[in-house]
Amino acid sequence: MKASRKWIMQRASALIVAPLIVWFLLSLITLSTGDYNSVINFFSKPLFLILTIILLITGFFHAKIGLSEIVEDYIQNEKIKNAVNLLGLLLSIIIPSITIILLLYKF
Amino acid sequence: MNDSKNPLSPHLQIYRWQISSLLSITHRITGILNLLGLIFISAWISSAGIGENLFEYFSVFLKSFIGKFILIGFTWSISYHLLSGIRHFFWDLGYGYEIKTVNISGVIVIISSLLLTVFLWLIGRGLI
Repeated sequence: MKASRKWIMQRASALIVAPLIVWFLLSLITLSTGDYNSVINFFSKPLFLILTIILLITGFFHAKIGLSEIVEDYIQNEKIKNAVNLLGLLLSIIIPSITIILLLYKF
Repeated sequence: MNDSKNPLSPHLQIYRWQISSLLSITHRITGILNLLGLIFISAWISSAGIGENLFEYFSVFLKSFIGKFILIGFTWSISYHLLSGIRHFFWDLGYGYEIKTVNISGVIVIISSLLLTVFLWLIGRGLI
């Protein structure tokens, strides 16, 4: 990705993630005191399900860009840099994918 | 490749610590912590999707002292990164570059990140 495009995407994704993560964090704090059924009820609401999916995709996307920025600044060795970036890319695709598939399968 | 020609920045071990550099590195550290939090959230959601038995492990953990401590820490990490991010937005728009403003906005970010953490927990736990 071009640096300027990265710059814009980092900020655009931040605008989406910011309200969603506050909402989800509040829900997590509430749900952490409850039981399994309260969590099932939470994700059974279509709106909450969709918002969670958007949060996962955008959140990991935002994290991936940020991580590569940090890697760019602190890791000098090209091979290690590419390896860390590749690992970050794979994780930021695989983790939300598995989570979303499980969510859609269950709810 | 040209390892030696590739400049590294910033040199954390060389510069004198100032509030501006402390806040900058904290933005990055909280960014990484938030990624770890996001991975935990994914695992938590996945466990709920897989079944009640697996979910119970997460449930017990989140209700434990360490679990609560980590969740509060994560709340602060998110709060800080979000507020610091807003500070970055102002810079992107061209505001707040004066040294005095930078220092003041930095202190505001630190204090309000703590307040936001408390605020979110009070709402989340239904206390307000």
